[in-house]
Amino acid sequence: MSLFKARDWWSAVLAEGEEFDQGCLCVGDVDNTGSGYDKVVVGSYMGMLRVFAPHASHPGEGPAAGAQLLEVQMQDPIIQVEVGKFFDFSKCCSGSSRCSELLHLAVLHPRKLSVYAMSGVAGNVEHGDQYQLRLVYEHNLQRTACNMTFGPFGGVTGHHFICVQSMDGVLTFFEQDSYAFGRFLPAFLLPGPLCYCARTDAFITVSSTRQVECYRYETLAVAMDADTRQDLEQRGKSSGKRLTADWTLVLGEQALDICVPSTSPSATSSIFVLGERNLFCLLDNGQIRFMKKLEYSPSCFLPYASVAEGVTNLLLGNHNNMLLVYQDTTLKWAAQLNSTPVAVRVANFPELKGLVVTLSAKGHLLCSYMGTDPSFFTAPKVDAREVNYEEVDAEMKALQKVIRRATKNQGRAPAMDRMSSCQSFSPQQALIPEMNGIAVPSVTVKCQMPIVPLCPVLPTDFHPVPLTCVVFPVLFVSTGSVSQLTVAFSVFLNGHYTPADLTGHIAVTYSSPTGVPRVIQCKFALPLLLVCCPSQASKNAKYKITVDTNQPPVSLSEVFPGTRSNASQSHALGFQLVAGARLTALASRSSQRYRIQSETFEDIWLVAKELVQRLNQHFTKLGVKDFHSSFSGPIPLPEYFDIMDHHFELRLTAGRYEDLLSERAVQFRAVQRRLLTRFKDKTPAPLHNLDTLMEGTYRQVMALADTAEANRAALVEAFSRLRSSTHLLILLLSLWQGLGTEQTAILDATLLPVLQDTPQLGWEESVDAAVSHLLRTCLSRSPKDQAIALSTTQLSMPKDTSRLKKHIALLCDRIGKGGRLSLSSEANTPTPVMMQGQKRVCLHGSVWANRTETPTTYFCPGCPRHTHPSSLSSQDHQSSL
Amino acid sequence: MRIGPSGKERSSVTLTMDPLFLAWSYFRRRKFQKCSNICTKVLEDNPYDQAAWSLKTRALTEMVYIDEVDVDQEGIAEMMLDDSSIAQVARPGTSLRLPGTAQGGGPSPAVRPMTQSGRPITGFVRPSTQSGRPSTMEQAIKTPRTANTTRPVTNSSGRFVRLGTASMLTNPDGPFINLSRLNLTKYAQKPNLSKTLFEYIFHHENDVKTALDLAALATEHAQFKDWWWKVQLGKCYYRLGLHREAEKQFRSALNHQEFVDTYLYLAKVYRRLDQPITALNLFKQGLDHFPREVTLLTGIARIHEEMNNITSATEYYKDVLKQDNTHVEAIACIGSNHFYTDQPEIALRFFRRLLQMGVYNCQLYNNLGLCCFYAQQYDMTLSSFERALALISSDEEQADVWYNLGHVAVGIGDLTLAYQCFKLALVFNNDHAEAYNNLAVLELRKGHIEQAKAFLQTAASLAPHMYEPHFNFAVLADKLGDLQSSYMAAQKSEDAFPEHVDTQQILKNLRQHFAVL
Repeated sequence: MSLFKARDWWSAVLAEGEEFDQGCLCVGDVDNTGSGYDKVVVGSYMGMLRVFAPHASHPGEGPAAGAQLLEVQMQDPIIQVEVGKFFDFSKCCSGSSRCSELLHLAVLHPRKLSVYAMSGVAGNVEHGDQYQLRLVYEHNLQRTACNMTFGPFGGVTGHHFICVQSMDGVLTFFEQDSYAFGRFLPAFLLPGPLCYCARTDAFITVSSTRQVECYRYETLAVAMDADTRQDLEQRGKSSGKRLTADWTLVLGEQALDICVPSTSPSATSSIFVLGERNLFCLLDNGQIRFMKKLEYSPSCFLPYASVAEGVTNLLLGNHNNMLLVYQDTTLKWAAQLNSTPVAVRVANFPELKGLVVTLSAKGHLLCSYMGTDPSFFTAPKVDAREVNYEEVDAEMKALQKVIRRATKNQGRAPAMDRMSSCQSFSPQQALIPEMNGIAVPSVTVKCQMPIVPLCPVLPTDFHPVPLTCVVFPVLFVSTGSVSQLTVAFSVFLNGHYTPADLTGHIAVTYSSPTGVPRVIQCKFALPLLLVCCPSQASKNAKYKITVDTNQPPVSLSEVFPGTRSNASQSHALGFQLVAGARLTALASRSSQRYRIQSETFEDIWLVAKELVQRLNQHFTKLGVKDFHSSFSGPIPLPEYFDIMDHHFELRLTAGRYEDLLSERAVQFRAVQRRLLTRFKDKTPAPLHNLDTLMEGTYRQVMALADTAEANRAALVEAFSRLRSSTHLLILLLSLWQGLGTEQTAILDATLLPVLQDTPQLGWEESVDAAVSHLLRTCLSRSPKDQAIALSTTQLSMPKDTSRLKKHIALLCDRIGKGGRLSLSSEANTPTPVMMQGQKRVCLHGSVWANRTETPTTYFCPGCPRHTHPSSLSSQDHQSSL
Repeated sequence: MRIGPSGKERSSVTLTMDPLFLAWSYFRRRKFQKCSNICTKVLEDNPYDQAAWSLKTRALTEMVYIDEVDVDQEGIAEMMLDDSSIAQVARPGTSLRLPGTAQGGGPSPAVRPMTQSGRPITGFVRPSTQSGRPSTMEQAIKTPRTANTTRPVTNSSGRFVRLGTASMLTNPDGPFINLSRLNLTKYAQKPNLSKTLFEYIFHHENDVKTALDLAALATEHAQFKDWWWKVQLGKCYYRLGLHREAEKQFRSALNHQEFVDTYLYLAKVYRRLDQPITALNLFKQGLDHFPREVTLLTGIARIHEEMNNITSATEYYKDVLKQDNTHVEAIACIGSNHFYTDQPEIALRFFRRLLQMGVYNCQLYNNLGLCCFYAQQYDMTLSSFERALALISSDEEQADVWYNLGHVAVGIGDLTLAYQCFKLALVFNNDHAEAYNNLAVLELRKGHIEQAKAFLQTAASLAPHMYEPHFNFAVLADKLGDLQSSYMAAQKSEDAFPEHVDTQQILKNLRQHFAVL
């Protein structure tokens, strides 16, 4: 990532198919012109040695062929080239001190070290000079070489010695044309970079144990010789000292290169080590002076003298094709190269000083300097085709039309639909074959839906318990040819008790063509036949209800036309409820009375209701205007209270079970926690039967949960019975006092708040609240006593039912004394205040917060995507209800 | 430019080189596959060549190497069943889990959007910085996994996705080293092999337990004097979730040798232990030894940012840039900070610099487009978004770009276009709560109250941390006369953004009315 690229000054592509690495580049005044200007020497793994004297190419001149001074094909691969004072002329040619200053070229082959002298002869013609390479001396190596370093080992002046590291860890020292000695490095596995530090006269390398090791030259010189070591070891004695490092420092990573800048400021003598992930600067004694964590993979580096005091500059190439310039740890410049450099040097040329010479593995040789050329990156063009505005306009219009049509349909769809209604009964066998020895009847209900859905249609909601329904087919309708759709489903009893109500309620959900989910619903009455079947009448029963009428009695078979018309039994009719109880309806032969008797109180309700309804219908059909039935009382409150008590008791039990369950759960968790700490403990400890305890608690919890579940089912059943008997109570009350529909509705609302029994809010407390409200308002003894405000205490489960019983008895009593139920007398509605308040609030709130955008800058892809297909639909569901 | 002086045709010379040397050279040039191939051949000839074995191990490790400092993923299990937390309710400003407790300088959500955990959205997504901890298990499970987190753009950091399959990737013929048959005691006594082997087991095989065994044996062999083995032990402990043990090892390693990586690892442990203050102190201690170290400075900045202390975070990011002016994360974070402090022109300069540096992706163009729009350079806005759309790599990105386009459309008053843009955002990302909210506002303008209500409820359920849907719903319900719903929504809005004045106003009015009743 950089703004700029390195500016080309001179560049060359050396060869195709050749390989280069770290050691293959060096710079120096190799032909000893004495001018101080550098030549670039490059050797390749293919054995090609090239020498360049780059100069700026003038525009229009083309590639400067004259820059290449020499190209020689060697017999062996070249793995390193160095320029140094490798030949001491004082030995051979009578003490010419200047001669020893001459620079020679050392070339390292895998099995050979050669030193060459290069010389140029001025050409006669304009084409240029002629250069030659002359072998000065060479050494054949015993082991495969890896890299080399050179310097004035042992403090000699004027010339350089060479040290070659082999692949198996032998340092071989050559003092010019003579072999000095070879030494094994200890604990060697793979070679690391090698560097000679002239200040301390020591060799620094990074070994396979990932530590920097420093060996003094004198230590090496006196250590055991590599050639003799194997023999000595076989003989079991040694003549030299064991080689030990002067100091070591654990880096924790392998190093790519080590460099001791020769021109570094004297105050800060330092050794630079380029690791694979960090850059280190060490003091001469092996302490870290500073380090820098690199956030990229470096490829090569070169410390060089800085103009500033006390700091060192650093050139660092990395594998992202970047050349970075650091001043100690601060990044000064970042330039982009066109390839990854494997070696970097700084060279002076006649036209320009301090150029950066980089070599890539593929052989791109580049002399460059830091400039402000913009980097290589340019954003590619988005495929911008020529825009034909007319066509685009037309397309846009067409698309807009499509969109508008789609949205219009969506908007038109009615918010709420009603099913036109339904039912064609055809009693048949239910899925459950029989119950209590009686075949369970079933009824098919058909609903007609006014519009055509496209998606599966599913009835979702069905009342009352314990009736269930089964949808025959799952419907898919895909064409618009049908204008009405019929949904059919069968209804049957699925439980061992009788429902309190025979009014069905069904909701159907479907999706409209535009994908908006919709709900339609309807109510329907179910026949009595669903829960009972005719049977023998019985004479005796525990509970009896007698209904008086003001018309002569009719035969029951006329009222219930579907039943068997048995002449002898026309005054008595038996019903066998599927859920178990048996009912008998009797019509008095002489008086205008009808009696319903049963073994259970609550079961009377369904038949009583049916009887009253049918009598009404019958006499309406006959044209009798003033038919009315009545009940002479007394209201069977004790029976009613029994059922209520049963329900309440079950509620209390449910609460007890809940407490027990939570207690056991707490215990279970506590045991679990103890066990967990036991297991996590580092020193194992016995479990102290905690596991047995846990298992026991678990069994208790499960058993309790089962019992609670059974209790819950019983509660549902009891509530259903309670509702039945309450319905019966209301019916009797209204017959008794001849209450109108309005008053019956109030009574209904009071005694049967539409609710499911929940642990938080039960039937008892809500009825109690409603009844006492009635008693305090319209049924109070004198108008003066009428309470003004609603009582606003929290509803909570009462301790027992005595208060409620008292209130209900009082209610019956007051109604019996002629109390009128009405809500109109209550003049204390707070409605107007509320309206005002609303209006005032409406003035506020025209501020709509708009969400500002989300510049989540770098979010990443790849997280699994979870969709919430139901989120929208659930909302729509609500709105369409 | 390859002109031989003689100009004669060169025959291609094939010179033989020592294969091990060639492999070594390839390794240095990071051509690991070639290196590994050569080593395989060498090992076929001589199966006991330790040097080749070691080199191949290193090459295989480097192929899949990810800096452990950047690897940090916390699963739901670790977040919820956390047994290392000290206090259930931390004091303000001492925890990363209570991000709402900014000590000043935190941006308000009205200006800068928040992430689910209540942190302002950052400019640079990195592992584990954005996710935050959910407070309850329910929230953790409910959280839509579209936080758009992880995987930063720099090559150095990465997400820990590579698991046991890495070994199969590099070695189709089966594992190179059969760990179960390895005699760890033998290898632990060879210091020149053991470190390489450890890294192979840890990074390549991802077998932390075996790695831990080896490290324990090796550190014993080194007489507990090699700091490197202690760091490795710490890394293993951290991976195994034994944070306190890891801390001990890292501390001990620091006593031996100050090292940047060790500081970073230790700070990571403290962050996981939810002790940001300790981590900050540690970073500062590290800075004493390694002045101006970029990674340490970045660590400080990240912690400040996570603790909602944006001002300090920006200061440190600026310090980072003084050291390394090509630091993408710092530039991106400063840029987005400028954007949210109402200086889109300056933000634009930062993002433009990223573009010039060669960052070329959808997110950048998206941000450029927004900056241009808010800096009133309308000519560049649409073309930037166009490029962003051309560079899209995932549906979430596309949804965000369309969402922002919708904003531009709202800004220029083209509500039809805005409506369609938001709809498109929802097509690509069905969980885009912001788009739902804005659609609701647009629907309300059209008079579709039920639709608006539904959208607001959806937005609120998708993103309970945003205050806008709650507030809007409160206002809407208030208008419709549903005071109870309005009050409840306003309370939720207050929870999300306590300083919001309009919410306070609504609540005040509602309370008055309730008092009158």
